[in-house]
Parts: sequence; C-alpha cells; structure tokens
Amino acid sequence: MSPRYGGDTVTSRIVRSYVITGGRSLPSAGEPALHTLITLAPGRKPPLRQSPESRAIWQLCSGGYLSVAEIAAHLALPAGVVRLLLTDLSEQGHLLRRAAPPRAEPAERDLLEKVLDGLRALV
Amino acid sequence: MTSAIEDPLAWVLLVSAVVAFLVVMRARGTHKELRRKNAALRRDLESARGELGHLRADRGARDVRHAEELAEVRADAEWATKSVLKSAMGTLSSLAEEQQVLLDRLLRKYGDSEVLADLMAVDHTGSQFSRRTKGISVLCGGWLGRREENASVYDLARSAQGRIRDFDRVGIHAQSGVHVVSKAVEPIAVVLAELLDNATKYSAPGTPVEINIQTVPRGVCLIVDDAGVGMSQEVKDRSSALLAGDGPVAITALGDPPRFGFAVCGLLASRYGFSVSADSVSPYGGVRAVVRIPQTLLTADATPPPVAEGGHRGHGAPRRAATPLPGASPVAGTTAGGLPRRRRRETTAAVAMSDAHTPVPAEADRAEPAGAVSASRIGAFARGTRRGRISNNAEGHKEQ
Repeated sequence: MSPRYGGDTVTSRIVRSYVITGGRSLPSAGEPALHTLITLAPGRKPPLRQSPESRAIWQLCSGGYLSVAEIAAHLALPAGVVRLLLTDLSEQGHLLRRAAPPRAEPAERDLLEKVLDGLRALV
Repeated sequence: MTSAIEDPLAWVLLVSAVVAFLVVMRARGTHKELRRKNAALRRDLESARGELGHLRADRGARDVRHAEELAEVRADAEWATKSVLKSAMGTLSSLAEEQQVLLDRLLRKYGDSEVLADLMAVDHTGSQFSRRTKGISVLCGGWLGRREENASVYDLARSAQGRIRDFDRVGIHAQSGVHVVSKAVEPIAVVLAELLDNATKYSAPGTPVEINIQTVPRGVCLIVDDAGVGMSQEVKDRSSALLAGDGPVAITALGDPPRFGFAVCGLLASRYGFSVSADSVSPYGGVRAVVRIPQTLLTADATPPPVAEGGHRGHGAPRRAATPLPGASPVAGTTAGGLPRRRRRETTAAVAMSDAHTPVPAEADRAEPAGAVSASRIGAFARGTRRGRISNNAEGHKEQ
C-alpha cells in the first residue's frame, strides 16, 4: 500500500568502468591474451599514486603467476579494462608476463596400457 | 435749486449712482449664488472623496485576497507538479538503476569483446541520465536510493565523476583512507556530480577541473576547482541562497531551461547534514565549490554497518571488486607467509568481523546514533508528508 519513496537499494557498481579507464581507448582484444600469465617483476616498489584497482592487481600478482582472465574475475572488472590497467603497469616495468604453458601432449593409450600391464606384472 | 435741477452733472451723478446700486445688488446676488454652488460642490466632493476612500479600502482588501488566492493556487500547482514529477522521476530513476545493474553484468560478460567500448559509452550516458532523474526527483521531495556499503571518499569522487558528460576533464588529486557511511554515499555523490557538472559546463572545454580531498579537523572536504570565468555577485547570492537549502524550492522558478544543480545540492545537504558552498574563487580564477562532510557521516571502516545477510550478498559478489579475498588466493604455489600485504588484509577483515569488541569501530558506532536519530526524524517527517499526499502517490504508483 505505502508508495515507494525511491528508497530502493542502489546496487550498481559505484565506480563505473569508463572512469577507471579515464575514458581512454581500450587495448586490442588479444593483447595480452586472456590466458597470458602475469606476475610482479622482482624488487618493484608500488608507485605512490595508485588507483585502488592497480593496487589490487599489484596485490594479486605479488604472489605468483595469475592469468589475465583470473585477475579480471577477482576484480570483477571487464577483461578489457583489466587489460588496460595491466598494460599501464607493464609499461612502467612492474609486471612480467609469460605465455600460457603449452598443452601437454596426450600420451598414446597403447603405451599407457603397456606400462600399466608391466606394473601389474611386477606386483 | 433750479440750478441744481437743471444741472446736467447732477443728473449724471444720480443716474450713475442708481446704476452702481443696481450693479452692486446684482453682484451680491451672483456672489450668493456662487457660494451656494460652491457649498454644493464641496459637499459632492466630500462624498466623492469618501466613496473613493471606501473603494480604495475595498480594492486593497480584494488585492490581498487575490494575492492570497494566487499564492494558494501557485502552491497547489507547484505541489501538483512536484508530486507528478516525483512519481514519474522515481520510476525513471529506478529504471535507470536497473539499466546500470544490467550494464554491469553485460560489461563483465562481454569484457573481452569488441563491443566493450560501446557498452561503456552506453553506460556513460546511462549514468548521466540517472543523475538527472535523481536530481529532479529529489527536488520534488523524492528520496535517493540507498547503498548497502560504505565507500571510500576517493571512490565516491570517482562515482560522481562518472555521472557527468566531460568526466575526462576531471582530476582527483588526493586519496584518503576515510570512508563515507553507506546512507550518505548516494547523496554526496549526486551533489558532487552536480558541482562537477557546473564546473565543466561553465569553463572552457579544454581546461581541467580538479577535485581535492582534504581532511579537516571535523571531517573531510571535497574541493572542486574550475578555471571558468567565475560567477557575478548576483549569481553568487542566488546560488548561496539555494545552497543553504533552508527554504522550499519552487521547481518552476529555476529558469528555462531549469538549472536544478544548486537547488538539488542545497536540499540534499540540509537533508543529510553536510554542507556545500560555492562562494569562493578557485586558484585558476573560476569557482571553488566545497562539500564538507562532517565526522558523523564518516567512518574508518570499509565494511557497511552489520546489516549484511549472507544470502543476498551472494548475488552482488562482484561488487567486492576492490578487495580481493585473501583466503581465496588463486596462487597455489606460494605460502601466505611471504605476502605481508595480504596479511594486513586479513587483519582488516578480522577487525571488521569483530567490530563489536574493538574500540575503534565502537567509536564509529557512537557517532552513528546521531545520524540515525536525524534519519529517523527525517523519516518521520517524510512519512507525515507522505500520508498527507498518499492518495496522489498511490494513484501514481498503481498506474505503473
């Protein structure tokens, strides 16, 4: 019965993504690729003025390699926006990147079965 | 004797004496007549004067009544306009909010796609749209939606920045660890956005607009400086009156096209207990506007007051953006011991969880009741007003 007073809860993200990028154009889609692994270069000190997002990336990457997709998921930001932030940080030399490890060659089934048979015979 | 009778001079004298007598008699008659007429005229004049006075008094009374009625009609019209606009703008701002939530999801979903930049452009216009509807709704007596989480002053400034057209001209120059309590986040962001909108509109396109965040003894100041031409004394006086927010604002008296900005600022500032001024000169020669947020609306803590229900939060999980969870570290190969910064994160989380026992949040709690009391008073006032106007609103909402 009582009319709503516009007092709904506001749940949209408080800082919009175009503010985080500062209105700059986004890097092209493959650079770096979603599965590229990123980590902090050794011995880097965080710059004095860092946006909260850059700081969060810094913290996430300080522990080891993390893929671009994972970083984006952790920050809950669009991958393109994270890509721009990562590009910024790596241009300043703070980040190391590594291509994703190559896919393991699937071993042949016959060979695996033979090894298994051999092992069983040993037991 | 005969000589006298025969003397023509004597005759002449006699005749002239007679003539003179006759003339005098006649003049007396005329004089009498004139006097009578004069008296009659004077009487008429007196009565006319009396009538005039009477008419004047009557007209005065009518004027007063007319003015009263006119004011009443105006107030009625203003109220009717406001209540219609409030209801309409309420719907629009709810829709705008819905759209932004949807866009949040789309932006993440298509984060790796070519459309991302276009989606961000749509998001930008959506934010401006949302700000306009919120402003008008507030002026018409509507209420802003409330956020569930506290926001850092820096994020709040960026939020305001995102709500104006030329957001890329705005620079935020200091970071502060202070947070604004959840209920004041939207109002302050709307006010700051209006000030930024003014600053960017009334200064040359290429010039910067700066937000400086200053901690002062009794709160935090957000200072907006532009490099425009400043305001004339008349405009300054008018805007000071609007920013003081102590009188009712006639929505139809804000010009055409209407300039809602300062009126919205004044209203929100007085409603939520912070202050806005725009009467000083910026270092660049333009306007310096200052939003002063008192201690009661600030907190050192990033987490909201304990209203969180776990179930509901799950849906909004992405909003924890800026605070990656320490426990869920994806870096399997490393030990937590090597990560001093994460350890600090964990302690903040611990403080947040046990905030009933620790002294620092307790202080924040003590500050809270003042805010809560004024909120409840404002709420009571709003309820009263609403009850008076309930029929109109209910109708408006049913229609939707």
